[in-house]
Amino acid sequence: MSVITADLRNYPLYIRSVPTQNELKFHYTVHTSLDVVEEKVSAVGKALPDQRELYLGLLYPTEDYKVYGYVTNSKVKFVIVVDSSNTSLRDNEIRSMFRKLHSSFTDVMCNPFYNPGDTIQSKSFDSIVSAMMVQSS
Amino acid sequence: MAQCAQSVQEFVQDSFVPTVAVLCSADAERVTRRNNLSFPELLRPFCRLTSEGHLRDPNNLVVVVKGLRISVTGVNTQPLQPGEVRKLLSQAVSGCQPPEGLPANVVTAGDYDLNISATTPWFEAYRENFLQSMPASDHEFLNHYLACMLVVSSREAAPTEQFQRLSQEQHRVQHSGEYTHPKWFIPNTLKYYVLLHDISDGDEQRADSVYEDMKQRYGTQCCYLLKINSRAAAAGPAEQMPDPWSQYLQKSRAQSPVSPAVLSDALSESHPLELDQTSNLGYPGNPSVAVNSIDTSRKQGGLPASSTPVAHGACLTLNDHDRIRQFIQEFTFRGLLPHIEKNIRQLNDQLVSRKGLSRSLFSATKKWFGGGKVPEKSIAELKNTAGLLYPPEAPELQIRKMADLCFLVQHYELAYSCYHTAKKDFLSDQAMLYAAGALEMAAMSAFLQSGAPRPYPAHYMETAIQTYRDVCKNMVLAERCALFSAEVLKSQVKYSEAAALLIKMTSEDSDLRSALLLEQAAHCFINMRSPMVRKFAFHMILSGHRFSKAGQKRHALRCYCQAMQVYKGKGWTLAEDHINFTIGRQSFTLRQPENAIAAFRHILINDSKQVATQQSAFLREYLYVYKSVSQSSSDVTLPQLPLPCLHSAQTRVFFGHERRLAEGEKQAATHVWLDQEYDGEQAQLWAELEEQVVGVANKGSVPIGFQPTQYCLSCHTDNLRYPLAVVEEPIIVEVVFRNPLKVPLALAELSLLWKFTPKDFSRPPGGVPGEALSNEKEVTALNDIISTEVIPEFTIGPEETKVARLQLLPHKTGELQVLSVLYSLGTVEEDNGTTSRPTFVRGRQDLEIQGPRLNTTKEEKTSVRHGPDHRLDPVITPPMPLLEVFFINFPTGLLCGEIRKAWVEFVNVSAVPLTGLRVASTHPEFFTFGCAASDLTPVTPTASEHCSAYKTMATPPSVAATMLVSPAMFGVSGDDRPTVAEIPLVGGGLGPGEALQIPLWLRGPDREGVHEINFLFYYESVEKNANHRVLRHKAFICASRSLSVRATACHSNTLPRRGGAEEEGGSSMLVFVDVENINTSEAGVREFHIVQVSSSSRQWRLHTCINPTGDRDSRLASRERGKLCFRATRCRTQEGETHARKYTFADLNLGNEQIVSSTTPCADFFFRRGSPSEAQKGGVSVGGANHTRRQSLTPAGGADDGVTGVVQKCSEVELNIIVLWKAYVVEDNKQLILEGQLHVALQTVGKEACSVPQKEEAQEMVLLKFKPDQPPPVSRPTLEQLSRLIKTCLHYPESYDHPFPQKSLCMVPVTLTLSNCSLAQVDVIIDLRHKTTSPESLEVHGTFTWLGQTQYKLQLRPHEVQRLVLKACFFQAGVYNLGTPRVFAKMAQAGTMCETSQQSSMPALIVINSV
Repeated sequence: MSVITADLRNYPLYIRSVPTQNELKFHYTVHTSLDVVEEKVSAVGKALPDQRELYLGLLYPTEDYKVYGYVTNSKVKFVIVVDSSNTSLRDNEIRSMFRKLHSSFTDVMCNPFYNPGDTIQSKSFDSIVSAMMVQSS
Repeated sequence: MAQCAQSVQEFVQDSFVPTVAVLCSADAERVTRRNNLSFPELLRPFCRLTSEGHLRDPNNLVVVVKGLRISVTGVNTQPLQPGEVRKLLSQAVSGCQPPEGLPANVVTAGDYDLNISATTPWFEAYRENFLQSMPASDHEFLNHYLACMLVVSSREAAPTEQFQRLSQEQHRVQHSGEYTHPKWFIPNTLKYYVLLHDISDGDEQRADSVYEDMKQRYGTQCCYLLKINSRAAAAGPAEQMPDPWSQYLQKSRAQSPVSPAVLSDALSESHPLELDQTSNLGYPGNPSVAVNSIDTSRKQGGLPASSTPVAHGACLTLNDHDRIRQFIQEFTFRGLLPHIEKNIRQLNDQLVSRKGLSRSLFSATKKWFGGGKVPEKSIAELKNTAGLLYPPEAPELQIRKMADLCFLVQHYELAYSCYHTAKKDFLSDQAMLYAAGALEMAAMSAFLQSGAPRPYPAHYMETAIQTYRDVCKNMVLAERCALFSAEVLKSQVKYSEAAALLIKMTSEDSDLRSALLLEQAAHCFINMRSPMVRKFAFHMILSGHRFSKAGQKRHALRCYCQAMQVYKGKGWTLAEDHINFTIGRQSFTLRQPENAIAAFRHILINDSKQVATQQSAFLREYLYVYKSVSQSSSDVTLPQLPLPCLHSAQTRVFFGHERRLAEGEKQAATHVWLDQEYDGEQAQLWAELEEQVVGVANKGSVPIGFQPTQYCLSCHTDNLRYPLAVVEEPIIVEVVFRNPLKVPLALAELSLLWKFTPKDFSRPPGGVPGEALSNEKEVTALNDIISTEVIPEFTIGPEETKVARLQLLPHKTGELQVLSVLYSLGTVEEDNGTTSRPTFVRGRQDLEIQGPRLNTTKEEKTSVRHGPDHRLDPVITPPMPLLEVFFINFPTGLLCGEIRKAWVEFVNVSAVPLTGLRVASTHPEFFTFGCAASDLTPVTPTASEHCSAYKTMATPPSVAATMLVSPAMFGVSGDDRPTVAEIPLVGGGLGPGEALQIPLWLRGPDREGVHEINFLFYYESVEKNANHRVLRHKAFICASRSLSVRATACHSNTLPRRGGAEEEGGSSMLVFVDVENINTSEAGVREFHIVQVSSSSRQWRLHTCINPTGDRDSRLASRERGKLCFRATRCRTQEGETHARKYTFADLNLGNEQIVSSTTPCADFFFRRGSPSEAQKGGVSVGGANHTRRQSLTPAGGADDGVTGVVQKCSEVELNIIVLWKAYVVEDNKQLILEGQLHVALQTVGKEACSVPQKEEAQEMVLLKFKPDQPPPVSRPTLEQLSRLIKTCLHYPESYDHPFPQKSLCMVPVTLTLSNCSLAQVDVIIDLRHKTTSPESLEVHGTFTWLGQTQYKLQLRPHEVQRLVLKACFFQAGVYNLGTPRVFAKMAQAGTMCETSQQSSMPALIVINSV
């Protein structure tokens, strides 16, 4: 499982994945999924600009993983990749995970010492992500 | 998907064409062979028809056939083995590289600008070859032979027989069942008889006659006389003929070498996966026996043609070309199309006749038998994975056959309906392979129908692909299907579907196919309406990976490079590293080492987040590549290395020798060294010191271009000028390396690379500078000019920052430029038993230092500009003197005020004499070299160890001995402290190699604590224009508390009575000195002895000690306090103005030894003590203000100020007390005697002065004042001060006997002495009438009366003493107080001021006795 946050310009802000040995693959997967995120956002944006659902749902399934996406109103993207064999995680769980992630991310942004665009090194953010990973695995 | 040269329709039409077999006689083969071509090859370029053909469908509608192409192949052409197919395909792909230098089109997607090759010719080549190599299969008939050409040469002895033979041969091949391979469309294949006539060779009449014969025998529609070879081959290539064959033959001949480069590529691509695939896949190989003799002859004939790529069609003229073209046209229109038309009709008739019956019958039986197969079919059916196999005559196949025929002649409507019917039949029979084929073709014909009556059934294709792949396990067919489908989807702008389709087709069994399809998928992503750049990049990487697995290195590299454009610089470091690494590897294997190095470099330079093992792998790879490159290239200039990071800006340069450490007792001057951190304040301090000393050396003026000497240049120093280095003195360059990796790095043979321009400074300027030299080729080659130090080994740990110090020693004068660092980079060997030497590569890194950013002018502020930095460009100057200073017996800890004698040694280590040695210090009061007058007995340091630092004389304690000393003798002029001292050198200088030891006295600082004392030694060369040099020393002294001396001065009321003293006018004072032992350390200090108290003043001197005799003990144990009382008198030599600057030293020794305080070192330190009041003040401005006020008080200058001044002066003393002490210290069971002196400056009468500076509250928060200070109010002399103008004293007998009985009035003479203490004239009024009115005085019963004048008016000159003789009259015996006269004084000049009552003296009691 892997959690990635990318900002408006699609630079990675935060990447975390377990297990770590196949990190490169996660990178590629997530990077590719940003295309789908963009596509979805632009499609939705046309239809209903004001009441956009932040949760994008399943972006695309691969053989081994399921990729879920979430975009904040400021176009910050969250991507969660889970093992496709993991059946315990339903759409609702993923959604709540994203909510949690979003609120934690907001806290990070509120930190006056955080420089927007830097990689996130906040410990609290880290611990929340870790908790989520432990919970889901 | 990339753009293709053909449209989709063309592509599909060209993929499915009627095929025609050729059976050639040996002679005919020989005829065509003259052109280096076989007969099918000869026809191939002309196989596309330029005119329209027509035929009628079963409903008698005319079908127009446009742009039909036929495919002509030899009947015995073998289907390629799968292995061969692979080889062919990979050759085709590798032989087709992207054109270089062609401008790639730029795709802009979001913030990405990508350079992407718009076309992918390698894919098209692959596709064409793939489709051509499709084996004919049983379930479809599209590439089955429709007709057969029988070719016989006209030279044949019996052409008709030959035709007969060939016809039989064809029949045998088709019907005997011996051969599985050539598959025939219809049982009665069209036979077309061709008589080949060689014009240049044969007999034309005979040919014509044979042709006539043929026409009679086979009918005109099936015969043709083809005349070729109009000219002899020997005619030579004078006439350039177009060669239409070349492009076809290149592709068709699998065995022919295409180009050497491709061949080498192809040979290397023996992928392991391909080895086990040689077994057949359902195409039983042709028996190795040749079909006929023609086959062998062809092969024999074919070999030379293929081995030597010669011009084809050498014997053919353009007329021949036209003939061939016409032949094909004739064949198609007269032979093939009618044949097809006939067959379609036949099949149609069959089907129509059968339909009504069989349909219902079949379906009925099926129902009844529960879906079982029809028995007649099931006999012949062979079960396979794809369902059943139909016998060739099965009615379902007839429909399919008809559909295929219609498709071939572009009658798509009919084809579609037939396919659709066939599909239903096949599906109901569960014949999956057949069904899939029918579905595929149905979809294709639906797509190709003009006018599009029905939408393209994409799901047909999907089902077909799925069936082919999953049910039939036939990847080749599935792939073909996918290729068409993707192309169609692309044409309909359904890119995402096309991409999904292509991605689905990738599998493990063929890397090449997967790679190509993935690449096409990537192109689909980028061509979407909103381009999916990241998906494009990702699939490009996947494709590159597959390409590299398939051995297509060039294509792999190209894919990675295109993907790199997306990932570059976006923060996806892992991906970026991976891509870079792969690019590096591929580039290296493709012999593009420069690109490989650049890619590897990129991985290593950036802050890599890889794990250590990965990094070390990267590093090893890089080193290996680099090494192989550097070995191959003979380039002289060494390339730049990426590792370790060189922090150029932090480079430091040091000029001079490495610091020598202390030798035994000798302690070398600290000077400057690279280990010292740069400290801005310190640097400023040293610069100020140097400016002072330079000012002194240049007689008070600092030269305009003065710059402080810099020995160590860093980013903090001013590097605008070229630094000066001296010949034969080393230059040390400190470079900072940082290892960004998590693996250690080993550097070897580290040295500097420099450029040197020799220049002789002794010659007049303007000479031609010498040629620039450099040690680039060989590091130590020019060691006679500049010795270059080489560090053999240098290891940097993981993520470590380390400095390396590299030394250069110039031997000639000139201009040096340090350019870069040379080193060999290698990995650190792991200790795992391997003896392999780690690889080292040689390279360099340039030291490029950017100066500070300029920010003065507007231009510079608005743009980013950097100034020059000449840190590394020193100018080597001729030899200069070089001084070394050693300190001997230099203490680290002292008591406050302790005097210690140390020695200092000056050594000139250069070959040039030095002169003008001076020293400047931040603490000039700390040390002295003694005054010039004192005899410098150069006793060796050891001999003087136990002697006193002072000069002593044996004298018993008595009246103070005095001595007059001018401060100028001690190098002190005026009030300012001398910060610069000249060091007395014998002969004024030091010759080369000479050394000099001179004594140095030190006095512990007055404040306790650690003191940092800076010495700056200045010296210069004897040559005039040479620069000066300096040497720095920084000493730390820990001062501990010793004694605290407090002193107060009081007016003495008594006037001296003794003769000598009276002449002085009665100026005397009492001085009380309180001495307290405040030493707190138990470390050995046992007790202090006050040895002597001396005074030094311009006006006063200590006269006698007036302590009670019993209290002479001057010992002070810890925390004891002693009090000493002295009488001070005014000096005699007051009036002489010339003597005013001289100080009188008076020594009052308490023991038996007098210390001559007026000599070195006591007086030295006295004059160097500095003003205590100034020292106590914190800020400069405060001290300055104080100073001016003091100045305004001292001289009696102004009229208004005069009064105050004079009055003030009265109570002012300027007496300095020097307390000399000895301390008995036990240290290491040894008793030591330490000596010291403390100074107290008394300034005002009655005010206490202290030797230990009072700890003031640090004035950290000084209020900012925006208004100028109010000028201090005109100080009016206070009453208290005014009352001290006149000192009065009554002289009278203490007791007076008077016989009152005899004489009732007793008259006593009383003398009133009036002494003017001030320096001005004073008017004095003495009033005797005044009675005491105080209540206490009333109690005094007895009264007396003054006789005579009751009021006197006097005027006293400065310091004048006057006596008044008064008479007191008593009436009875008793005790009387005579102190009733009131004295009023007034300054003579100050008329406005009223008189002030002077302080009355003490009660003067007189006893009158009655006798």
